[in-house]
Amino acid sequence: MNNVPTAVPLDQAHFAERWSARPDSTEKVYGLQQYPTDELHWPGLLHGRILRSAWPHAHILHIDLSQARSLPGVRAVVCAEDIPGTNSYGIIFRDQPVFCTDRVRFLGDAIAAVAADSPEIAAHALTLIKVVYEPLPSIGDSQQALASGAPLLHPDGNLLDSSQLSHGDIDAGFAQCSYIVESRYSTPRQMHVFMETEGGVAIPEQDGSLTFRVGCQSGHRDRDQLADILGLPQKKVRVIGLSTGGGFGGKDELTMQPAAGLLALKTGRPVRIHYDRKESTRAGIKRHPIQMFARTGCDAEGRLIAHQLHAVLDTGAYASLGPAVLTNFSDHAAAPLYRIPHVEVQGQLVYTNNSVAGAFRGFGGNQATFAVESQLDKLAQAAGLSSAELRRRNLRTPDDDGVEGQSQQMPCHPDTLLNSALASPLWRLNTADQERGRWLSGVGMALGAQGNGLGNGLPDAGGASLRLTEQGTIQLAFGFIEYGQGVVAAVQALACEALGCSAADLEIRLGDSNGPDSGPTSASRSTVIATEALRRLRDDWQQQLIQLGKSLLGDQRALRTGAGGLWHDEPQGERAISYQALASRSKGESLPTLKTHFDFPTGPDAQPRGRYLQLLIATVARVRVDRFTGRVKVTHLHHITAGGKVIHPPSYLGQIEGAAVMGMGMALLEDVPMHNGEYQLDNLDAYLIPTLADAPVQQVDVIETIFAGDQYPVRGIGELGIEAISPALMAAIQDATGVRPCDLPARPAVLLAAMTAAEGNLP
Amino acid sequence: MSTQNTAASMQLNFTLNGQLLNMRVGPARRLLDILRLDQGLTGPKEGCSIGRCGACTVQLDGAAVPACLLLAYQVQGKEVSTVEGLSSQPVFQRVADSLIEHGALQCGYCIPGIATSLTAALTQKPHASAAELEQAMCGNLCRCTGYSGLQQVINDLASPDQHI
Repeated sequence: MNNVPTAVPLDQAHFAERWSARPDSTEKVYGLQQYPTDELHWPGLLHGRILRSAWPHAHILHIDLSQARSLPGVRAVVCAEDIPGTNSYGIIFRDQPVFCTDRVRFLGDAIAAVAADSPEIAAHALTLIKVVYEPLPSIGDSQQALASGAPLLHPDGNLLDSSQLSHGDIDAGFAQCSYIVESRYSTPRQMHVFMETEGGVAIPEQDGSLTFRVGCQSGHRDRDQLADILGLPQKKVRVIGLSTGGGFGGKDELTMQPAAGLLALKTGRPVRIHYDRKESTRAGIKRHPIQMFARTGCDAEGRLIAHQLHAVLDTGAYASLGPAVLTNFSDHAAAPLYRIPHVEVQGQLVYTNNSVAGAFRGFGGNQATFAVESQLDKLAQAAGLSSAELRRRNLRTPDDDGVEGQSQQMPCHPDTLLNSALASPLWRLNTADQERGRWLSGVGMALGAQGNGLGNGLPDAGGASLRLTEQGTIQLAFGFIEYGQGVVAAVQALACEALGCSAADLEIRLGDSNGPDSGPTSASRSTVIATEALRRLRDDWQQQLIQLGKSLLGDQRALRTGAGGLWHDEPQGERAISYQALASRSKGESLPTLKTHFDFPTGPDAQPRGRYLQLLIATVARVRVDRFTGRVKVTHLHHITAGGKVIHPPSYLGQIEGAAVMGMGMALLEDVPMHNGEYQLDNLDAYLIPTLADAPVQQVDVIETIFAGDQYPVRGIGELGIEAISPALMAAIQDATGVRPCDLPARPAVLLAAMTAAEGNLP
Repeated sequence: MSTQNTAASMQLNFTLNGQLLNMRVGPARRLLDILRLDQGLTGPKEGCSIGRCGACTVQLDGAAVPACLLLAYQVQGKEVSTVEGLSSQPVFQRVADSLIEHGALQCGYCIPGIATSLTAALTQKPHASAAELEQAMCGNLCRCTGYSGLQQVINDLASPDQHI
């Protein structure tokens, strides 16, 4: 490559032309947006509550609903017997019961649900449901689950899935190494902590169908599962995923929908369920806690020769998206940024009686990257090289295949990011006044790679519809859910560019299972699908509108689509006809209506694993560590991203910065500790997330240019910012203190103890 | 709603968004339920129910407080303002304009509470410093943005001679 692409600061000065406020900002700031849990206005609305298990693991001997049913104000109590369809759900395996019948496997298991006139009555009714349990020994961690003689949580045992990714000969590889480092790593059970907990309303319609207005991540997939549970044909279930207060993967799986649907069917009235934070903690999906052992070696010249990583992931009581997380974890554990001839990754995904783990931004990749990047720093130290130099000698090039042998499309050469990271001003901040005082300062960096889409070999289709309405608006529909990421802003910007219209001409519809299926709102795939859909629709759309315009105007002069309508396609050409006039004057004729449906790009080969569209990030972190307490303050973060074209700058910036602070929480603060299946906390008084006072100063520089011939100029960046933050922070802590934390979150007490032990090494 | 507490109900009189309200209500009914369930004001959101997240922030006699921790008897005779009532005030509009301009929100579930807290701080002290505004944000969590937009909003709203 002759022209090295440059990283441009993502700020208003550099992106003035593309900068605009999110289209939904004003409604949100003025409190006017109706979130799923604000659906309180339905006539006859009932309030639902779900009874959760009292034990992490037990047989259910008896369930008595009679007292609850006779409480005044209670309109329905439902349990497994009331399910007309199948009593199970799960995106990959339907192994999770809607309501348990004979056995509970974690404290979030549902047993029954109540609909009542008020939330208080519903809560009271739950206390009147009598469940007789026979407690069983509970499996509190992965080691116990895999031990011989452990109780089996599911018919096929406690090992839900395993992965093996290897090439070369690992033993022969290590035999050639001059330097080898090995270490254990662990990562926490992080909680999504979307500000709006799981919730919404199920509304029975006149024709016996049900409409859900909920917080979710795929209306279509929810509809398919709910139809099976409710025993209704799919056309009688409509799921509208309203703009919701955060998802991050935690609303990918069904939450309150089955219980609300069953109660609505039973009562014939709208039923609202809104988990309180305690219930969200107890029943909600978490990030997989992972125990890792890694061994990595290089030759005398610092060339990586062998890399081995073994991991056990605690997936909790049910599968959810665990197997897909394991695959993505493994791909990242194989060190996708580096050329290594001998690699062996083994992963085990294990059922326990803990909280169910599933989708969470990063999807296993960021935990693996934490271990891999930490290993490289340790190896560089052992080999007497700088961290940057070891990386430079081993970076994969854009011509290399991915770790699964799949074709991949990198946005640029990874060394561009490495060089940008090394040029970061954060290395040169003068903090001399802080040395030898209370605060120790340090800087560190890490690299990350991330792929878009659900992954090769999985069904991953998307689509859209586009039509001119009778009112003359351009109605563009996708199945995506707006949960804060800014898909409304991205779709609006992409549509204006592709269709030549203005934002005012557009009516964007999202998240309705009666509309087009765009696939799930996950895996950083929406922006890619939206771009590709508009590319496929654009020419037909313009041609049909122009044809319609010419026939209505009786004028064969050239036209083009533009703001407000069709314009004469000549210099200083005037507007020929508005979209409204096109619609109103073509009475009787059908208005342009287009649809498209296609598979997510997987590249030229049919390799059934891995991801084709790749993105890169380098994160540089600057921290101050309190020598008295071991507390870490992240003062600055500098990200260099290569994620294709920036469609809506504030949304791109917010996704990178927000993901980084979420990752900072995982690295320094957040965990849901469990003991024998019992939660050790249940709310935000004990589960702390970063506040404004914890927030660092951040800078994001973007590399927008891609290689000639890359068909996909736009990538999805929703998970990129979390990819490299943990190892960058640990490198900065090591730079400051000489201690390298390998267990996340890096707790102050643990860090302080290690610093004290190593005190002699301090400056 | 038949959602009165089992204790004898009380006669509650308080001012909500400038209007005097009189109602029979259980003395321990949460203000947040009075606002959302009884009055249909959904600007204040429920995020944690224990006063930790700030999504339900309202103003009580001008001070920013979480509505989930206030019980009916505690607002007797007082003035309560929600985002719906504040939104016509110039101070709120200045805050709102800045939040929008700096892209300080994503999902937005936290943002009525954040706007309410900032409005309270700037109403009480129109020349508040950046440090004082940051302090006013100590009860409001945001999970989406990483707070960079909010840092800019605070620098924008703080008195010019008192930037961090």
